[in-house]
Amino acid sequence: MKRTGRISYHFCRLLLGAVFVWAGAVKALDVPAFAGQVAAYQLLPYVWNYAVAATLPYVELLAGGALLLNFRSRPAALLIAVLNALFIVVLASVLARGLNIDCGCFGPDAGTTPLQALGRDVILLALAAAVYFQHDRYHPLPAAAAEG
Amino acid sequence: MSLPRILIEAVLIATLGTTVGLAVNHRLLADAFAGRLAAPAPVAASPATRLPQPVLLAEVRELAAGAAVLVDARDAALYADGHLPGALSLPLGEVEAQLPGFRQKVAAEKTLVTYCNGYGCPDSFDLGLRLIREGYRDVRVYEGGLPEWRDAGLPVAKGKP
Repeated sequence: MKRTGRISYHFCRLLLGAVFVWAGAVKALDVPAFAGQVAAYQLLPYVWNYAVAATLPYVELLAGGALLLNFRSRPAALLIAVLNALFIVVLASVLARGLNIDCGCFGPDAGTTPLQALGRDVILLALAAAVYFQHDRYHPLPAAAAEG
Repeated sequence: MSLPRILIEAVLIATLGTTVGLAVNHRLLADAFAGRLAAPAPVAASPATRLPQPVLLAEVRELAAGAAVLVDARDAALYADGHLPGALSLPLGEVEAQLPGFRQKVAAEKTLVTYCNGYGCPDSFDLGLRLIREGYRDVRVYEGGLPEWRDAGLPVAKGKP
């Protein structure tokens, strides 16, 4: 039982980390294009669209990387949960305003509608919550756990 | 790990990511904050779903009297022979070469009205589509164009762009 739990904990951690590293990398590679996608949300004055586009991908990369490496994974899961909660609010505002935009979540050519993105973010938020709350149970790693 | 410690480390990760992002993109951001970059082009789910909106003569007169920018899609020689007063020249055939200069002169928030040689002329519509893809948010097409404007007895300006 404990073993299944441990495997699913690490699966959640690795999956969430990989998703965020991927999302961050794709957007970091083309900052002006991502700035355009942020601008499409019509929430920020135009220079701030560039500021978000320049920084957000690197925050995602670092947090995702930390999860992948199992380094500071609880703070990283918390940060990702906060980011996802923010994305959900922003996507809900897009739906409420009836904007027809690409969410921009995974770079310029992903082509995801706001509703799909919102659903995905709810799942990612659940993954982050799982990592955050299960962390202490399945950490440290199996080898060290056997000693303790 | 205690909650305050987790919070601090989460903030640290966010700060570090932000710093790296600022460092990597400092030139782009400096340009953006100095106003040397055009507004980022908002991306529609599919650009084809956003089309330039047609406007009639009466609306064009109101828009031209306001802050809207008239854009002549015909070539420079036709523009020199006669154009709507205050219109900028942006020939569809030279759009790639002239767009950078145009973007510097005209902000993305402006309302644009494109026109060419009347109802038989598709260039104004095509130019409108191009300008929407370029990030202009409010682009309209005056399909009556110069002929309808002139025949209504309205003033026509002459001179090179």
